[in-house]
Order: sequence, then structure tokens, then C-alpha cells
Amino acid sequence: MDGTILNIQNYAVHDGPGIRTLVFLKGCPLRCAWCCNPESQSAGAQLRYISFRCKTCMACVEHCPTGSVSAGNGEVRRIFDECNACSGKNCIDACNYDAVSVSGREISSDELIKIIARDIPFYRNSGGGVTFSGGEPLMQGAFLLEVLQGCKKLDIHTTVETCGWSDRKTLHNILPFTNLFLYDLKIIDPGQHLCHTGQPVDPIIGNLKFIASENADIIIRFPLIPGITDTAQNVKNIAETMNVIKLNRICLEPYHSLGREKYDEHGMEYGLDHVVQYEHSQVIAFRDYFQELGFQCEIA
Amino acid sequence: MNVHHEPMEGREILGAPSNSRTSFFKGRYLDSPLMVDIEYIKYLTESHRVTDGTEVLERRAADHAYALSRLTPVIHDHDTLAGNKTRFIRGAIPYANYAAEPFLREMRKEEQDAQSQHMEQGKGGGIRKALLEAEQNGLRLISGKFLISKDEYEQFKEICTYWEDKCFMAQGNLLWKNHFRNASFIEDGWKIGLYTAPHEPCPEGRLILDFETALASGFNQVIRETEEKIRAFQPEDITEGAKINFWKAAITVLKGAIVFAENYAAEAEHLAESESDPARKAELMRMAEICSRVPMEPPRNFREAVQSFWFTYLLGHLEGSHLGYSPGKLDQLLYPYYKNDPNLTRSEAISLFEELFVKMTQIEYIASMSWQGLGHGNLYQNLILGGVDEKGERADNEVSMAILQAQINMQMTQPTLSVWWDEKLDSEFLLKASECVKTGVGYPAFFNQPTYVQHELKTSGLPLATIRKHSAIGGCTEPTLQGMAYGIVQAGFVNHGKIIDLVLNEGVDPVTGIRMAKPRKPGTFDEVRSYYLEIMQAAVRNWQQYWNYVMIAHRNTVPLVFCSVFVNNCLERGKCMDDGGALLNQSITTLSSGMVNVANSLAVIRKLCFDDKVCSIDELFKAVRENWQGHEGLRKKALAVPHWGNDDDYVDDIFLDLFDEYCDWVSGQNNYLGKPYDPSMLAISTPVPFGKVCNAFPDGRLKGEPLADGVTSPFPGTDVCGPTAVIRSSMKVDHTRIRGGLLNLKFHPSALKGVSGSKNMLALIKTYFEKPGFHVQFNVVDSRMLLDAQVHPENYRDLVVRVAGFSAYWVEMSKSLQDQVIWRTEHSL
Repeated sequence: MDGTILNIQNYAVHDGPGIRTLVFLKGCPLRCAWCCNPESQSAGAQLRYISFRCKTCMACVEHCPTGSVSAGNGEVRRIFDECNACSGKNCIDACNYDAVSVSGREISSDELIKIIARDIPFYRNSGGGVTFSGGEPLMQGAFLLEVLQGCKKLDIHTTVETCGWSDRKTLHNILPFTNLFLYDLKIIDPGQHLCHTGQPVDPIIGNLKFIASENADIIIRFPLIPGITDTAQNVKNIAETMNVIKLNRICLEPYHSLGREKYDEHGMEYGLDHVVQYEHSQVIAFRDYFQELGFQCEIA
Repeated sequence: MNVHHEPMEGREILGAPSNSRTSFFKGRYLDSPLMVDIEYIKYLTESHRVTDGTEVLERRAADHAYALSRLTPVIHDHDTLAGNKTRFIRGAIPYANYAAEPFLREMRKEEQDAQSQHMEQGKGGGIRKALLEAEQNGLRLISGKFLISKDEYEQFKEICTYWEDKCFMAQGNLLWKNHFRNASFIEDGWKIGLYTAPHEPCPEGRLILDFETALASGFNQVIRETEEKIRAFQPEDITEGAKINFWKAAITVLKGAIVFAENYAAEAEHLAESESDPARKAELMRMAEICSRVPMEPPRNFREAVQSFWFTYLLGHLEGSHLGYSPGKLDQLLYPYYKNDPNLTRSEAISLFEELFVKMTQIEYIASMSWQGLGHGNLYQNLILGGVDEKGERADNEVSMAILQAQINMQMTQPTLSVWWDEKLDSEFLLKASECVKTGVGYPAFFNQPTYVQHELKTSGLPLATIRKHSAIGGCTEPTLQGMAYGIVQAGFVNHGKIIDLVLNEGVDPVTGIRMAKPRKPGTFDEVRSYYLEIMQAAVRNWQQYWNYVMIAHRNTVPLVFCSVFVNNCLERGKCMDDGGALLNQSITTLSSGMVNVANSLAVIRKLCFDDKVCSIDELFKAVRENWQGHEGLRKKALAVPHWGNDDDYVDDIFLDLFDEYCDWVSGQNNYLGKPYDPSMLAISTPVPFGKVCNAFPDGRLKGEPLADGVTSPFPGTDVCGPTAVIRSSMKVDHTRIRGGLLNLKFHPSALKGVSGSKNMLALIKTYFEKPGFHVQFNVVDSRMLLDAQVHPENYRDLVVRVAGFSAYWVEMSKSLQDQVIWRTEHSL
């Protein structure tokens, strides 16, 4: 079957062991303000407009069937809500400067497996494999399952990075074909979680308990977001939750604004412009906290 | 750019000299201007004036020996190793006996050779220092960056005038310009940038001597054995008379070499006498003792072995105008002395290597502006570690580790450090090597020994054990057999990019209007391909035949006698290298660069004009001729066609086809030693000047942009599938077919961070080499750091980056080369 992916990266070395291929699947049930892949949130294809490449030749304006692109004062203006990343991709073809592109493309499970399999010699020599990230890969559960099964047939090490928001059955299905979970825990307090991600936290913790009880290999990923997830209470809650579920490995992901431009490019609002990135010493202090509690803690 | 918020990532491994002495050496080097030293050429000329009438080899030996025994033995403050190529910290010898013409032309304010206008030299660091001092002290400059006193300048002018009609280049010109029927093709080729400039100013190199024998026997023993050969000789053929000439020449040159060492012993003793510091006095006394023993007699300990190696190495270096003259397998050479020296500490060995590396970096070369620009001042002294021994067992040892540590500490641009990769190598050694890479210095490069062994088995027919034991890299990326092979003395590079220009313009160079090939208007893909092959074949064949003429003059003017003594089996056969004395004579290569652009261009032509019928071939060629201006839409489609480096068979198959055609054609011509020319492809910095003279290409490249570099490195910005795809494309090439090859990968420090980052890098190398690839090297730098270094060079005086087959100080690189390094796709996450 077909799935929608955003991107495939090879020689990825930060998301699981060894040299890996990293597949970003599109679509996510959460809406975290700090998301660095905002274009992965919506399930369908989205138009991307990189303004600094634009030479304002207005070719896209002429070719737009929906009228969502207009010209004025020598500028190109886009109304992203009215653009449907139309199947004709008129403005993309019209643009000679790569200023317009589409984020997200369909791919069949067979084709994706074939691409992943190309780097098998690199996986073998490095202890690497494939990592599915997103977006939330479990949003495309059936597609993900097919690809995971295909990879296991080829004896490829598989990792799934998940926010944990999924129906239990999907999770149950992929368990036998997943070697490692990179499992995001953001906020433990239910009200705060709902407020900052748009979804309740209970199912996420429930799913985590479930895969832990099935002896899955799990590394917790904890995004450190100034003033949001890094409060003393939340950090303590994260540690306690891990203790209860008997999980030992945690990876801290300090806030960065690398995805900032992508919000503009996709016509999305960025809410964290006031947030300042950490000093390295601050991040070290968080790591020390977890290490002193006996956790195996790394910084991404 | 969408990454400007990210903090700049520095180099993970920084390193510092291990002690105050070597720190002083590095500082002294960095503070010294570039000087030209005419002492050697002055004495050589003095001798040459009176040796007229002597047999060629004997004359060459007498001249070299005369100069060796008279050179001023300079021991600089704090030195513990004796011997320098010149009297200065950074000094170059102007070998007017090789080519007086470029110097004379400069001195006569005549126009430089056609290429030099496309070449650009760096302007920072020691070069800047030389320019400043020239202004302040009324010194003169030669070759744009070397200082010389006014008095020596006048002397040098006279020396060059003497050599004007006698030097290798002049004698070669007499031959090929008068007798080679296609001489005009070569001259036109230079005018249009089809070839690199004449190589005669610095032809020697890619040569490694048999230091093992030199050390183990000692020069005295070699002299005795040679004298015995003369006594036992019974001629049975009239041509054998030349044997006596060579043996006599060998003895003469060795005796001169001994005086050279003894002069250092005397100087050390002399300095010791007036030295007030007792510690330094003792050091100088020790130096005097060592220099009066080696290289005449075998070394008795590690320090003597290093000194003996360094003298032997220098003596060969002094003899010729070398680029890529190399130390070879120094860890193998020195290990027995290291192991058996009870008084040696590891830190003393590391300190000695640190001093040695500074000394190697201090050697400069001066040639035509074109070749200086191409080599960017780098001498490509390749030191290779690891690999396997004759039995196929891993050969990395404690000395290999000490050498890596010394380079991590010093980060000098020389030696060009390399590793022979083999799956048997110790993982600790490999991790140390990757630590060195992560200093950002670009060294070591990794070479796949089994691939080269295959190449040599196929072409030389020498025994496996011999090939394994002696395989080394001479120069930047060309493998050869240490102490057994003629140098890789080739004519220079063929510019594949210029051939695209010719194909697109019916055989006429669009820049100069010079016709290079029969007019054709290809109408099909096959016609385009055959037109390209037709011109490539003419370019290669004429280049080889021209060079065979030139090298006749080499035998008659500058045959290497000292070097021949330490290349097997010259002494045994009684023949110098130019007479075929070496065991391996198939080391002469034909070089080219830019084939990736040809493959990409052919893929675009096939796809747009024939498969998809987007445009006609005339429309495409017209757009390209107009540098794509007004044809942006078509250029976008051209760029969307698969390009090399993405593991796409559509274009990769075209590359493989061209590669095979090139290799077959190159080896179809014998070299001047009677063996087939060996195909090779590399780059040094040719992509920049070669690109400058070329129009736009069908692959989307714009006029004047650099070509793709190396053999299998993708064109910058067109490898969109990541580093493993680059390697998968490169894996398809049969690297055993060529002598030398090159793949550059540039990584952001974060991609290789920590031990796990190193292990991933090693896994990448292993995967590539299992296939088997031949060579890979890494630049581990943040491109924003390089951009910052362009703006604030003063903060980056010691920043070394890998350019092609060599590393260079950032501030001494030309702006265009800096841009190219920044431009290369940076693989990061």
C-alpha cells in the first residue's frame, strides 16, 4: 500500500545505533509549539515557499488555478489556506528558481523498502538500520507495519520514534517488528499536556506501560523546552514515571529553533519566538540531574 | 539560509604540540616568510660549467655531488634533527636546470604561460609575510611569493641565462616542437585550457626510495658493493658500457652525500664549542656524533634511524625538482629501531616526529606560477601507515600510533598522512586515525590496499608478497611500489570539461575560436558520445606522445642518479631509472579530471533531447552556449535529470562507460620506458582553473564554475541523496583499473562526534572498501566556520583543510579555492 512521507535521509547517526536511514512519515495528532518539523503535522501534501529564492518573476501567479497567489508591490503573496497543493502543481512547474515545492509525497511500501535496503551494507558494518520518525509514524499504522515487516524480512534493525499517541492495536501489531522505540515523553501533568500538545497524556503513558510490559527496548526522549517542559515539577515527574515503568534510558532534546523558517515557508504560525536557547551548561545540569538519579542519560 | 540560528560547531579534536620545543618550531614556521634559496643551483651550475664533455650520468652525479658537498649546513635554534633543504625556515630551490624559461620570462617581465592568467595563488600567511617584507626591506619577489635579495636575484638571472638553452625544458622543446607531428595540437591545447601547463619545471616525484636498504646497509657499504660490481664487470655487449657510467656516477653521488652529512657533523661540533647552555651543548654534541655516523653506517638506535632516514630523504629531494616525492611506509621502516631501542620513550619518539613534520612542511617549491597554483604550494610528501605486510598480516604498530599522535598534536600540512586500509587493521589504530581526521586537518586519507594490490597484480605481474610489502602512496593519491618503481612522471592533466565545450561547438573552442577537431554536428545521443570520445582520444594520445618526446630530453639532462641508487634494481642492473633500471616501469600515468561533468551532461542530453523530447539538441546546445541565460526553465529541467552521486543507474552507467573507454584508450599507448601508460584520475586543484576556462555545460553547470573534483566526487549541490548514495555510485567503478582515484566527503562535525561518530565513519569506509573502492578522505568542518575564516583570516592562521589530494593552510588558499571547499556538499544532519 501507499503511505505519505516527507523525506528520507541516509547516514543518519543520531536516531538509533549505527548508520541509519531516517524516514519521516507525514501526519501527527499532536500540535506542539516547539515542533521542528511543522510540515510533518498535517497528513496531506503542503506547499512550501522559500521566499529568499524568489525572483518575483510572477510566473506562479499566472499559473495558479485557485488564485491563492497574488502579486502586489513587486511581492508575491500567498494565501496558504486557499492553496490545495493542487495535483497539477502548476506553480511548482512554473518556478525556475526552486522557490516553490511541495512537502510530502506518496510512496509505496515496496518502493520504500527497496530504498531502505540499498544501505544494508552500511547497516551491517555499523550496527545500524532504519528509523521511522515523523510526524507520528503510527498515524499510518498499516503502511508502517508493511514496511517494518519488509525490513525484518531483510534482517534490518528497526527503530520507531513515536509520541505514543496511537490506538493500542496498531502498537500491538508493530511490536514484533520493532527493535527499538524512541518514545517521546513531554509533559506528565494532564492539564499541561493537553494545553501544550492538544491531546491528553493518559493514552501515551498507557501505551508506554504496555510496550514496556511486552519487553520492548525503549529510550525515552524528553524535549527540554524553556518554561514549558523544563519546570522542576515536570522534570521530576518524568523521572518518577520512568521509575514506575522501570525504564532507564533517557535522551534530552534541548530546544532549538532550527525549524523556525519552515513555519513561514509553509504559512504556519510560530509561537515560540520569545524563547531563548539554552546555554550548554544549563543542559548539562539537566543531564546531571537524571544521571544522579541513576538514569542513563544522553544529550541529543 | 535556514540554519543561521545554529551555534557554530568547532573542531572536536584540537591538539597541541607535545612540548615547548615543538611548539616553538610550529610558531617559527608560521612566522616565517617564503624565501628562495639559490645556493644549490648556484653550485650545481658552477660545476656544470666545467663538466662539459663528461658522460651524462657521471656529469649529473658530479654536479649534484659538487653542490651537496658545498651547501651551507644550517642548524637552527633548538633543532635536534640535522639537515635542511635550504638555508631558510621556509625555503625553495629554483631548479633552473629543469626549466629556466618561466623564471626568465618573469624576470624579463614577459607574459606568463597562457594558463597562469587563470591561476590564482593564495595571499595570506607566509605569502603575505613575504610580500610585506619585500616592500619594507627592498627585497625582490620571484614567482609572486618568494623573497630573494637583490644581489642573489642578479646572480640567479645569470644562472637562468646559462640554463636557457641547456635545461631539460629547452632540450625537450627542441625535440617535440621540431619533430612531433601534432605539436600544434599541444600548443593549442594549452591556449584553450585543455591541458595543464607544461610540467617540466617540476616533473619529478611520486617517487619513494628504498630507505630500508639505505638504512640497513649504510652508504659506505653501498659504495663498497658498487665498487665490487665495477671490478667484477665483464662486458659482453657494446651497450653495457653504460653500466660502468652509472656505477661510477653512483659512487660519486654517494661520496658527495657523505660530505653533506659530515658538514652537518662539523657544524654541530662548531656550535657546541661556543654554546654556553650545557643542555644545548650536549644536544649539539650528540648531533655531531650522529651525523658523523649516519647515513654512512647503519643506525644503532631510533634517533639515528630517524636522522639517517631524513638525510637520505633530503639528498633525494635535493636532486630533482620534485612534487610528491614521498617518505612512504615510515612506520614499517622505523618500527624495528623503535622496538629495539631500550632508552627510547614514547614521548621522545612523538617529539621527534613532531620536529620531522615541521621540517617536511618547511620545504617549499617554486616552479611556474601555473603549477604553484595547481599544487597550492603543497609538496604531497605522502606518509602512509598501516596496511598489511608481505604475509598479509596487519602491519600497524606502535610507531603508526606515535605518528598519528604527532600529527594530531601538530596539524602541519605535511606530510600528507595516509592509511592503508585493510580489514585486519587494529580497531584502536583506526580510532586514532579517525581522531586525527576530526582535527579537521583532513589527514589521514584512507586508501584501500587490496584494491591497489589487485591493480598491480594485473599490470606488473610482480609477486603478491612483494606488492604487499612495498605498496605505498607517492604524492597525493597515486599508489606505487616503494623503492621499486620509477616515479610517476606524467605530462599533467587533460581537462574533460573543455572537451564538452568542443563537442558543443563543432570542434572549435568557444572562448578562443581555435579549432581542435573535425567539425561535426551530432544529431543523436550516440553521435554526441562518439564525438566526445573522438576528441578525448586525440587529446589523450597527443598528450602521451608529446610527453614521450619530452622525456627523451630528461634522460639527457636531468636523470636522477642518487634516487636511482635507492630504487631496485638499478644498481643490480647497472641502469639508472631513465634507462629502465626500476623493477616497475608501468608507473607513468595519464591524468585527467572532470569526467563527472561529462557523464552528467550526456545524461541530460539523452534525457531531455531523446527520452523525454523536451527540447531538440540544437535548442539545448544553444541554451548552454548562452550560459543558460533566458533559459532558466530548461536549466531547471536539466538539473532535475539524475546526476552522478545519487546511485541512479541512468547517469551512473554513462559514467562507467566513459570510464572504461578512457582506461582502455590510455593503456593503448606505451610510455617512454616501453610499458603501457597507466590510466589515472585525480584532481589536485585542477577543477578550479579547468572550470574557469570552460563555458556552461548541459548538466546545468554555469560558465566559469569549478568542475566536479576528484574522480568520483559528485558535482557540488547535485548529490541530493546523502553520503551513502555518493558511495554507492562510486562503488560501481572498477577502481582496480586505475592508478589513483579520489573521493572527497565533507562532514559537519556533529555527524562524526564522539566514539560512536568515529565508528560510523569507519563503518562507512569499510563498506566502501569492501566493494572495493580505492580512496576516501574527509573534511570535518563547519562551512560557517570557513565563511567566518574568509572574513576574519587573522583568527584562523593555523586552520588546515583538505582540498583534494592535499591539505593546505586556509589563509594561503586562493579565494576561489576557498569558495569551492565551502561549496562542496556538506553532509550533516
